[in-house]
Amino acid sequence: MSIVRRFGMGLLAPLTAVAAAMLITSIVISLSGSSAIEFWEIIFSRPADRVFVNIVNQTSLIYLAGLAAAIGFRMNLFNIGVEGQYTLASYAAASLAGAALFPGLLNVFMSLLLAVAVGAAWAGIAGVLKVTRGVSEVISTIMLNAIAITLVGYLLNRYGVKVGNGVRTEVIPDGSRVDGWFPFAEPDGPVWALGLLAVLGGIGFWVLLNKTRFGFDLRATGASQSAAVASGVNVNKMVVYSMLMSGGIAGLIWMPSLFGAAYSYGTTFQAFLGFTGIAVALLGRNQPVGILVGAVLFAFLNEQSNRLTLETDISANVVQITQGVIVLAVVVAYEVVRRYRTKLEQRSVTETLEADKTAKGKAVSA
Amino acid sequence: MADTATTHAVVLRDIGKRFPGVVANHDVDITIRTGTVHALIGENGAGKSTLMKILYGVQRPDEGAIILGGQEVQLHSPTDAIAHGIGMVFQHFMLADNLTVLENVVLGAEKLHGIGDAARKTVAELSDRYGFGLDPDQLVEELGVGDRQRIEILKVLYRGAKTIILDEPTAVLVPQEVDALFENLRVLKEEDHTILFISHKLDEVLAIADDITVMRRGTTVGQARPGSVTKHELAEMMVGSELPTPAKEGSTVTDEVQLELANVSVVDPRGRSLLTDISITIHRGEVLGIAGVEGNGQAELVETIMGIRKATYGQVRLGDVDITSWETRGRREAGIGYIPEDRHRHGLLLDSPLWENRILGHQTRRPVAKGMWIDRSGAREDTDRIIEQYDVRTPSTDTLCRALSGGNQQKLVVGREMSGAPALLIASHPTRGVDVGAQAAIWEHIKRARKDGLAVLLVSADLDELIGLSDRIEVLHRGRLVAEFDPRDVTPQDLGAAMTGAHEDAS
Amino acid sequence: MRLSTRIAAVGAAAVLALAGCARDDNPGNGTSGGSVDLDCDAGGDGPKVGLAYDVGGRGDQSFNDSAATGMQRAVEELGATCTEGEAQDGEAESAREDRLRQMADGDYNPIIGIGFAYSEAVDAVAPDYPEVNFAVVDGYDPTPDEPNENVAYLGFAEHEGSFLVGVAAAEKTEADHVGFVGGVNNGLIQKFQAGYEAGVKAVNPDIEVDVTYIEQSNLSGFADPAGGKAAAAGMYDGGADIVYHAAGGSGSGVFDAAVEAGEGKWAIGVDSDQYLTATEEQKKHILTSMLKRVDVATFDMIQSVADGKPLTSYQTYNLEDDGVGYSTSGGFIDDITDVINGYAEQIKSGAVKVPETP
Repeated sequence: MSIVRRFGMGLLAPLTAVAAAMLITSIVISLSGSSAIEFWEIIFSRPADRVFVNIVNQTSLIYLAGLAAAIGFRMNLFNIGVEGQYTLASYAAASLAGAALFPGLLNVFMSLLLAVAVGAAWAGIAGVLKVTRGVSEVISTIMLNAIAITLVGYLLNRYGVKVGNGVRTEVIPDGSRVDGWFPFAEPDGPVWALGLLAVLGGIGFWVLLNKTRFGFDLRATGASQSAAVASGVNVNKMVVYSMLMSGGIAGLIWMPSLFGAAYSYGTTFQAFLGFTGIAVALLGRNQPVGILVGAVLFAFLNEQSNRLTLETDISANVVQITQGVIVLAVVVAYEVVRRYRTKLEQRSVTETLEADKTAKGKAVSA
Repeated sequence: MADTATTHAVVLRDIGKRFPGVVANHDVDITIRTGTVHALIGENGAGKSTLMKILYGVQRPDEGAIILGGQEVQLHSPTDAIAHGIGMVFQHFMLADNLTVLENVVLGAEKLHGIGDAARKTVAELSDRYGFGLDPDQLVEELGVGDRQRIEILKVLYRGAKTIILDEPTAVLVPQEVDALFENLRVLKEEDHTILFISHKLDEVLAIADDITVMRRGTTVGQARPGSVTKHELAEMMVGSELPTPAKEGSTVTDEVQLELANVSVVDPRGRSLLTDISITIHRGEVLGIAGVEGNGQAELVETIMGIRKATYGQVRLGDVDITSWETRGRREAGIGYIPEDRHRHGLLLDSPLWENRILGHQTRRPVAKGMWIDRSGAREDTDRIIEQYDVRTPSTDTLCRALSGGNQQKLVVGREMSGAPALLIASHPTRGVDVGAQAAIWEHIKRARKDGLAVLLVSADLDELIGLSDRIEVLHRGRLVAEFDPRDVTPQDLGAAMTGAHEDAS
Repeated sequence: MRLSTRIAAVGAAAVLALAGCARDDNPGNGTSGGSVDLDCDAGGDGPKVGLAYDVGGRGDQSFNDSAATGMQRAVEELGATCTEGEAQDGEAESAREDRLRQMADGDYNPIIGIGFAYSEAVDAVAPDYPEVNFAVVDGYDPTPDEPNENVAYLGFAEHEGSFLVGVAAAEKTEADHVGFVGGVNNGLIQKFQAGYEAGVKAVNPDIEVDVTYIEQSNLSGFADPAGGKAAAAGMYDGGADIVYHAAGGSGSGVFDAAVEAGEGKWAIGVDSDQYLTATEEQKKHILTSMLKRVDVATFDMIQSVADGKPLTSYQTYNLEDDGVGYSTSGGFIDDITDVINGYAEQIKSGAVKVPETP
């Protein structure tokens, strides 16, 4: 199969899915008595400068969340616990950064390290439980989510700083803030510097997965656990390692925002990114580039949807319908395309064999 | 005998079924009389399950005719089969634990008698009539294996089956349960039901069957009546009466020990003994064949040597090194090649390209890896080498493994496992399901490697293969080594007897 | 083709179900009806008001709806017009800011954030629009050392109102055992708890008060009816016969729990007179509601802008100026209004000091 054709195949599934999602969303909007055209006009209008910056920033967060989920998925580990892992890690990192035990950028670095460690440790619990006790990671990570979120709430109430009706951790000192670049006017806000973490994470994920032995073992285990075991992969070790890595990356999810805008953990903490990450990982087929496309799409839809309630009578919830349908349609479309592709490959193999035979036959007769 | 078609519940005539690269069934002829228990026996891989799928409408035959009650029919689906009065009870039960007996029976057949009192009455009636003793309102999770099996049978009766296919029904039962099952079958038979009983346990077949059909290598090779046939004769029919002549080439066996198992036993977590006191020695240049009816410990033996399963007692030594506690990867790195029994589950990543499959099992070794990195170009080059040397028919190294035929997949596996000059090869059914050409090629490769000093443990159900390749043959029965033969002078009777345990009874 | 028909049927049902949530102006949720009718465009040349609701939005029969009531009054009395935005669960902080900026860019003035969660966003946005007046209901200035001239923080003496319904609960309980369900365990909701407990104890110090928060810090606790129901059901099972909720949209779950607990089990509503918006079933169990007159505050803010004297800084609405109170709809507490009003007088006069923290 030619490269062009293969590439075309790769695009076919997501494009079909997006088209299906647009169609269904339009039907839903029309049935509810609003104008689908109006909806798409708003969604596809050029974002304002500040919205553009927001899209870039949100993409970096969602992308990290997607990577965290994808590492588990590549091994058929359903880490639903990204949510709890990054909540706990964000709180821990914000507390450390706010305490300002270290000066300037060292403070940032140490906080990032702590975020990774806390996220990894929290995910590691689920990994160890699975390996030693056979507890499904789906169950344990859901439980750990609830525990993490409640625990953070408790710690925040207990040790946080009261400001008006809100509670937050100590604010990060000026020297340890990493705002980023202002591509437009200052009120439009910065593109967060720590968004680079997402870039590094993406490249690291790609290299790890495609270039290293560890990545091969991980993919092999995901593709066929029985074959991986026969090939000498210690699946238990892989489960724990990949949970640790998944959790470690999860720990970084909110860091760009913490050091770029929020400066403390409090009411401005952005929840639910862990679940968005799962959807984006599914959407992107657990591939670094695919997840990026998914993250951009989700960030774009989220940010653009803000205008819906202000300018139309369409609920911003509609965008969640669109997102949900896209994910669902992508999963279906990929399977259809995969089967089609296998068929094509099989045909191509047969053709090669036939061509072989005729070539040999001719050689003999000649 | 009055050859009126109506006394024959099922007639299969000249059935043939091909899969890409393999002939699963050919020239199958079976006649099953109404109101009898008809046993279908044969080794695993003899084509029984394909045949059953054809009769149950799961697969369509490429040729031949299915005649039910005197009429030729086309079965497109299990629904068709049920409509024609054919029901099947699979080896693995398909019951919902948290539902009652009644609910399980009615599930999916709600249209017959509804789900209320009418259904309950019917289920109770059927249960009484055939002596199943099932309470319609009991939860399935409270029931044992024997009762669950009766529910499965009840399910097909409820759907109106007159002919019932039982796929290895005794495999999951303890002896008392087997007796109870046979009692049920006799009652069913009296009520004019026809039973097709699939098994490879000869004692049971002789105890229950009215007629016996033997399958080997995809076709029916003989018919028998229990009264007029001995266990030995059946075994012989199963494994083939003419044994191939062993390889004519001279022995390459050296006196250097490559693999040694010393008193190895494996006990599963529930305390069941899987392997008992196995002692084996394989020398460099020697092929040790392991014969046995499947399920007698072959898989466990292979897994214990590969480190996938740990020996509960005893020692495994590779050369002079004790590797009992080593992990699979370490064993592979030490030079053990492994051709698994089921290449799809254990040997290949079907949805990955060929070059990635070349890496599998060699993740830590050149030329496919360098340090912590995967060497893609190295892997591609070496895949090309295997394609060339082992004649794997594929357009390129980037083709997905799934697209290849079974024979070509297996050649890839063999080529891979022969890479890097292994010291020991564990070959489990290395030519199962491959076409004749590929089979010959694989045998040739194993012979050549043996000449170069490779030690081979060959597990196979194919006696051509066992006798043609092995320097020695050991027989596994119920997890024990029960006999040893020299392939040059072994008789089918001896081999069959040892494999079916008759050997033990005699001694 | 039966299968495809079935798939089509399921698909159609799903699409119809989704269509139900596609509009954001559906009043109330489901059967409960009686939500606020707000027609933003009905006004005239009065102020153009930007209303930014919190999670839950219109139809929560509580906090956000109360703001809408105040808005409707401004439409009628001041000829105001308005636009509405609504926070999504789990949205980015930047989305809140963007919502406010869009309103400011659209020349809306005043812009009112409903809910303290807008405090940070308003603090970030207000300096860039010095001509626009902002208000945050329940809000606070997260950077007190850099006060904003154009922001009003509309606070309430929730503890005082809660004290009164605490008195009602204490008078009405037969089990001497009552409960409190908070949406999120923060300083704001703790005020409700503190006042309620004080009110109960003022009548009878021996009455047991159970306290539960649905979430510790996650704001989803205000939009989690299932969580509210579980919390309240636990209290009824444990012997409490009256449960007061300060949980926003989660409160409907508390009412459901009271209905299921049966005769003699009561719930107390919050923010608006929830008897009026409840279902027929629930009405039989809603003893009273603590009124937090977000509508009064909202209207006040709009009026101040219309008058050219916009409110700024902290504003507190208390019992004295009818910013908080209790409702009597349903008539279940008509026999004890004298007692409650007695306490109310004492609070107003300063004779009774209600604590703000538990």
